[in-house]
Amino acid sequence: MSKFIPHLGGSRRRFIRNAGATVALASTGLSMPHIAQAAGTVKIGLIHPATGWAAYPAAQLRYGAQMAIADINAAGGIKSMGGAQIEALLGDSQTKPEIGAAEVEKMNEAGVHALQGCYQSAVGLAASAAAAKYNIPFSVDVGVSDKLVDRGLSNVFRMADGYGRIARDASAYLGEINAAAGSPAKTVVIVHEESEFGTGTAKLLTPALAERGLTVVDTIKHANPTRNFDNIALRIKSAKPDIIMPINYPGEYVLLAKTLRQQRVDFMTSYSVLGGGFNFKFIDDMPEIAENMIDVNHWYDPRSASGQAMRKRTEADGKYFTFEVYCAYMSIMLLADGFERAGSTDKDAVNAALASSTLEVDFMPYDKTEMVNGQNMGSRAVAIQAQNGDCQVVAPSAYASAKAVFPRA
Amino acid sequence: MATRNSTLVLCAIGFALLAFAPLGISSKFYLDILTLIFFTAYIGQSWNILGGYAGQFSFGGVMFFGTGAYASSILVNSFGVPAIIGVVVAILAGAVLALGVGYLSFRSGLRGSYFALITLAFAELLRVVANSLEITGGGVGLFLTYAPGLQNLQFKTPVGFYYFALILLAISIAIVIWLENSRFGAQLVAIRENEDAAEALGINTLRRKCQAIMIMGAMGGAAGTFYSQKYLYLDPPIAYSVHLSVEMLLVTIVGGMGTVFGPLIGSLVLHTVNEVTRNFIDTPGLSLIVYGIILIMIISYLPNGLIGLFKGRGSKKAGAAQGDGDA
Repeated sequence: MSKFIPHLGGSRRRFIRNAGATVALASTGLSMPHIAQAAGTVKIGLIHPATGWAAYPAAQLRYGAQMAIADINAAGGIKSMGGAQIEALLGDSQTKPEIGAAEVEKMNEAGVHALQGCYQSAVGLAASAAAAKYNIPFSVDVGVSDKLVDRGLSNVFRMADGYGRIARDASAYLGEINAAAGSPAKTVVIVHEESEFGTGTAKLLTPALAERGLTVVDTIKHANPTRNFDNIALRIKSAKPDIIMPINYPGEYVLLAKTLRQQRVDFMTSYSVLGGGFNFKFIDDMPEIAENMIDVNHWYDPRSASGQAMRKRTEADGKYFTFEVYCAYMSIMLLADGFERAGSTDKDAVNAALASSTLEVDFMPYDKTEMVNGQNMGSRAVAIQAQNGDCQVVAPSAYASAKAVFPRA
Repeated sequence: MATRNSTLVLCAIGFALLAFAPLGISSKFYLDILTLIFFTAYIGQSWNILGGYAGQFSFGGVMFFGTGAYASSILVNSFGVPAIIGVVVAILAGAVLALGVGYLSFRSGLRGSYFALITLAFAELLRVVANSLEITGGGVGLFLTYAPGLQNLQFKTPVGFYYFALILLAISIAIVIWLENSRFGAQLVAIRENEDAAEALGINTLRRKCQAIMIMGAMGGAAGTFYSQKYLYLDPPIAYSVHLSVEMLLVTIVGGMGTVFGPLIGSLVLHTVNEVTRNFIDTPGLSLIVYGIILIMIISYLPNGLIGLFKGRGSKKAGAAQGDGDA
């Protein structure tokens, strides 16, 4: 690192010399990652937004993916390939689609056998399209755009749900929760971030909620980032909805929740869909605000022994057990299973194995894995609620660990 | 004249070497990085015409890029027009938008930071509009179909996009060389140095500034088509990203404003520094800190940009030679 920092106390000449050295060093090709060509190694590239506004979820994703890789390696690696060990190559998309695509090029040069990423749908779209040119198997960890798997790319697979099915399920769960309480809620205000994730989800929710007897009285779009929700809170206050439905990224999710509290906006519940900020960290940091808030999201099965064990391990490492951790874990498992069944790193064989995957993921509240155009049809999001400082699954009833508190206390 | 000829010779040799570079570079990753360097240099050059030569600093240069990107993408997606025709429309759209923004701003006498802020506001306004319109796909954005072919300005390998970016860069440098040696360019420099004096000398400053921003707009429009055809996805945060507005002025300032090769040198150095720091530093975020420090050092030590190094050396040599002659 010090090679590239000019001497702070140096002369201008020395600075120029060092700056020149930097450029020269880069032009010689030293900036390429040097990957040891170890025999019997399966290389998986992890592309996440390690720098930028999404650095925290990216760190969680990396952690989950590396945990999965460590577990697979410890269990004997890819057995059908003579116990080949998985090696992770780390990539940073910097939250930019063009950098995400460039990372794919770099990893392809490094001889990567599969890719995993990219948290943001926009980056995932660019990166998976770049991967498709080389037929590199691409496992989506978190990225809810349905376009990721709807574009006809035969190398892209997603274990978790996309926003189309999540919006449908979220409406159904809300209908059930509302009906169980005697249908007190009639109106909804949707507050969503402006990119494809928020806009696409909001679009699908409006008709789906209408089918459940809930009228969307206002749909409010906000920019990323938004640093002040005062006006939006006032607009919500004037609309007097029974339910507020946020669909946004972590920073905005938390800020909106705080603002609604400060402005004393009255509503029956906050029922977010893919609320980026709803997790154990949020519940720990702001227990009073979080209490009884509901979110529909990727979530682990709290009744499963493996899910509980994974949570314990994560917390023992000083990390929160956010959905990024197990979604990344699961997406690596999918790739490992593909290599296992293909018995080689041949891209066509691995893609074919992934397309016919029946992987069992017992720590998730999923049905049997069934891939249709790269999308796992067995996946589902669940409704979770902050209750007494913990997080409980409240819908669907088959996976519920507690009864929903609705309207909120 | 000698300077012009030496610049032309330098460009000819440089572009000849770059044209053959894919034959010697087997790494697609490096070709992709070079493509990004050329692309950034190109949009930096567009900013350079208005900012570096005419002295009108814009913080919203991305508006032309975004509008061009949407213009060609909508034509491709909704009307089945090939992108090779779409790029012409994108260039026109960028130029027309630039004329509108330029005329409204300059006619109102906006200069300096006021002009910079109004362009930022226009870019932000367009982002909001793009977010709200059905034809732009709103927040969901536009997805383009992968269909490689020259008529679609899409290519199976990074080599095709490398040449696409190289051609754009060559055109932008040709425009700036022409500018440096034209009456129009001299008038822009006069405006930059002292607008009131230029006006007093009979230069129609409003017209000249509008023409300069139109060139910038046209170039931005073409850049938008390049981006959308390469990455096949466009949404308002991408199309009207403040980041790109900053990047286009950053490469120019670091390389050297009001110079032919400033944006290219700036882009080359900044991308290289970025790649080197990213690849040698594993700690997330630390590479950006190092990148920032290097950037501060460059700007602090080299107020005329990196190209000032060569110019300074050249003038010193000339001075020394003159001294020898005197002796």
